[in-house]
Amino acid sequence: MLTENNPDQNFENFPEIKEAKAIREKMAKKPLIIFVSIFAFVLVAFLSLAIFMSFNQKNLTLTTKNQPTPTSTMELKEEITSPSPYATDAALLKTEEEIKNLDKKLQETDLKESKLNPPVLDWDIKFEKN
Amino acid sequence: MKNLSKIIFIVFSFSLLFFLLPQKSYSEEKIFDADRAFQDYLYNTNLYRQSHSEYIIARESYLKYQTLTSKNTALEKTRLMLKNQDEVTRTYLTALRLKLAEVSGITNYGQNVLYLRLDDEIPWFQKHQQSLNSAGTIEDLVSLSEDGRNQYQKTEILAYQTLGAILTSKQNVLYEEITQKIKDLKEKIGEIRTKGDKNTSLAERWLLEAENRLTRSQEKQFSAQQLLAQMKTNDFNKNESYNKAQFTIEESHQYLKEANSYLKEVVRELKNAD
Repeated sequence: MLTENNPDQNFENFPEIKEAKAIREKMAKKPLIIFVSIFAFVLVAFLSLAIFMSFNQKNLTLTTKNQPTPTSTMELKEEITSPSPYATDAALLKTEEEIKNLDKKLQETDLKESKLNPPVLDWDIKFEKN
Repeated sequence: MKNLSKIIFIVFSFSLLFFLLPQKSYSEEKIFDADRAFQDYLYNTNLYRQSHSEYIIARESYLKYQTLTSKNTALEKTRLMLKNQDEVTRTYLTALRLKLAEVSGITNYGQNVLYLRLDDEIPWFQKHQQSLNSAGTIEDLVSLSEDGRNQYQKTEILAYQTLGAILTSKQNVLYEEITQKIKDLKEKIGEIRTKGDKNTSLAERWLLEAENRLTRSQEKQFSAQQLLAQMKTNDFNKNESYNKAQFTIEESHQYLKEANSYLKEVVRELKNAD
């Protein structure tokens, strides 16, 4: 209550309430918090993207890697009913394996290389009406 | 608070460096091999196709309207198309050269002769490409394209002969391997014959058949090489001559397959008791 008994009372320099001060400080911090959280979000997003891309690259290399062609389980196995003394001969078995590999190589060899055929180019430049 | 944002900025920058630098160095490590050269060639082929379509449109427009603007456009579009044409040829020959470098079944002499011929051919198209810049009229460009056409007739022969050499070199590698297997089996049969514990006459017959197929394969390969060597610049359809040679190489390859299958019979016969 305002009375003449209280002359020191100054309404312009009214002491600030503690709660108001806290709110004001909080408001001042807000842009910084927003800035920091955006920055953190960008960083996390970038890191996740980078990790995702590196995984993708690994997957890519895995898919392009030359994988051995699965051999058919239905493949007819050669059966030796009465083996000779050379049926288990190490040198002969080695040659047999090499011949099998050679057979695979013979089947896989590209003897066309059609992608390397000379390009078809138009050298017939004419500026005459037909 | 300022310190915190500084720290975040530093962490962010380092993470950027960490993830971007290795990828960059990886791409720098890629070497210029036949595959890379082939990709380069394909890229230039696409550019050429695009410029060729533009040239056709510009030419039609000039022939129809005969204006100065359409003439200038036609001049520039023709120049660009011819430049791209030279670039396609140059990158194609480079890809072919690198492919030739990758094959092993060719003699050093044969490989070097083709290298020299290819190395002479590539600069021609580079020079031709430069001369297109100095052409001031459409007539100049027409004349330069005629030079290009004459040169390309020789280039085509070289390209087909190099391709033929690549294919025959693949055949040579396989031929050598089969010859080695025949030698190994001959030694084994000789060893068995000496011991006398197995009749080797059937295995020897199969081996003889394999050798016959090998000889026929060589004959076919020789005729393919002759077909390629006989190609001439004035041949109307060089592609047809090359296809004949390529088919002959395939026949030669078929004989190698047969020879190898007979070797399998030899092994089967040796593993079985009489």
